[in-house]
Amino acid sequence: MSKVRLYMSMSVDGFIAGPGDDAEHGLGVGGERLHAWLSEGGLEPGSYRPTSGPSAAVFDEMLATGAVVVGRRTFEFAGGWGGDHHDGVPIFVLTHAAPSTPAPGHASYVTDVGSAVDQAKAAAGGRDVMVHGASAAQALLRAGLIDELELQLVPVLLGQGRRLFDDSSPDQQELELLRSLEGPGVLHLRYRVRSAG
Amino acid sequence: MARIRLDMTMSLDGYVAGPRDGVDEPMGVGGFRLFNWLDRRDEPGPNREVYDELMATRAVVTGRRTYENAGRWQGDHHDGVPIFVLTRTVPQEPPPGSVRYVTDVADCAAQARTAAGDDDVMVHGAGAGQALLRAGQLDELELHVVPVLLGQGRRLFDHLPAEQVELELVRRLTPPVEDPAQRVIHLRYRIHHR
Repeated sequence: MSKVRLYMSMSVDGFIAGPGDDAEHGLGVGGERLHAWLSEGGLEPGSYRPTSGPSAAVFDEMLATGAVVVGRRTFEFAGGWGGDHHDGVPIFVLTHAAPSTPAPGHASYVTDVGSAVDQAKAAAGGRDVMVHGASAAQALLRAGLIDELELQLVPVLLGQGRRLFDDSSPDQQELELLRSLEGPGVLHLRYRVRSAG
Repeated sequence: MARIRLDMTMSLDGYVAGPRDGVDEPMGVGGFRLFNWLDRRDEPGPNREVYDELMATRAVVTGRRTYENAGRWQGDHHDGVPIFVLTRTVPQEPPPGSVRYVTDVADCAAQARTAAGDDDVMVHGAGAGQALLRAGQLDELELHVVPVLLGQGRRLFDHLPAEQVELELVRRLTPPVEDPAQRVIHLRYRIHHR
C-alpha cells in the first residue's frame, strides 16, 4: 500500500532553512549547508543525486515516489520546480487560497489537506507519496496523515531559521525508528508514525 | 584535557521537557516520556555503556533552573563530583554538598575542566548547554534521541545566534530494545569550533 512519507533535510538543532528564507534564497542564510550531502545539481531535482551509498539509495527512493504533496511556500521558494519535481508525477500544492492562475506543469493547488493526500495516493498508483516542506509536514502530522518521516540529519547547528517541528499541539506522537543509515556527512533516519498504523 | 560534553535526552522534535516545567513538575507535562529508555540503563549493551560514561564524568555543569527543578540533587549528582551551577544571582544560603555557584560561563568551564582533570565534564540542562555553546566552550554533544514528538515544551537548542556550528557524528548507538516505548538512539557529535 502506498505510504505517505515526509522527506526533509534537518540540522541537529531542528532547522530546515536558515533565517530569512524567501523566493530568492529558498533555504535562507546559510541554509544551503543542509543540502551539502547532495551532489551539485542544476534545475532538475534529479540532478542532485549523491553518487553512491546510502545517500544515493535514499535519494532514489525519494524519486521513486508517485506523487508529491508540498506547501505553497516551499513550492514557490523552489520556483515550482518548473512544474516537474521528478518524472512528471503530480504535485499537490497545499494553499489556503488557490490563485486564479493555474499551477505550472504537473502541479495543482489544493486547499484541503485530506483531499490533497487522497488525490496524491490515488495518483501515485501504489507507489509512495512524498511530502516536502515544514508547513505541509505540520499540517499533515496534525491531521494524522503522515505514515513515515525520512529525515536527513545534517551534522550542523544553524542556530536560527525555520524549524521542521514548530510548536504544535501538546499531544504526544509516538514514533518507531525503522532504520538509520549513515552516509557521508548525513544520517538518514526513517521513523514510522505509530498511530498511523 | 577534560572534554565538556552536553548530555541530554531529547524528543525527535527537539524538546527536553514538556510544557510548563517547574519545581513541582520538573519534566513538564508529559515530559517523563523521555526517560523511559533509562529503565534499561542497567542492561548490558549501548544503554549501559552510555550511562556508565555519564557516571564516569568527574564534574557536572548545569543551569540554575535544571538544578532547582531537580531538587538540587541534594548536593550530589554522582560520586560527590563537583557540580558547577551557572546562575545570574548567587543564592544567599551556602550551596549544598559539592555544589559551587558560578556566574561567568568561561570561568565555569575552566573550573569544571580543572576539576575533571583527565576525565570528562558532563553538562546537563538546556540553559547551561546554550550558554556554553554561545561561549564556544562545548566540545561534544551526546544526544539520546527518543522516538516521540512532544509537540511543545522546552527546547534544547534555542536562543542561539544565527551562526553555523559544524558537528561531526563520532558515534551512533542503537540499543536493541523490544518495547518501542523504551527505544532510543544515542548520537555523539564532536563540535568543530572555528
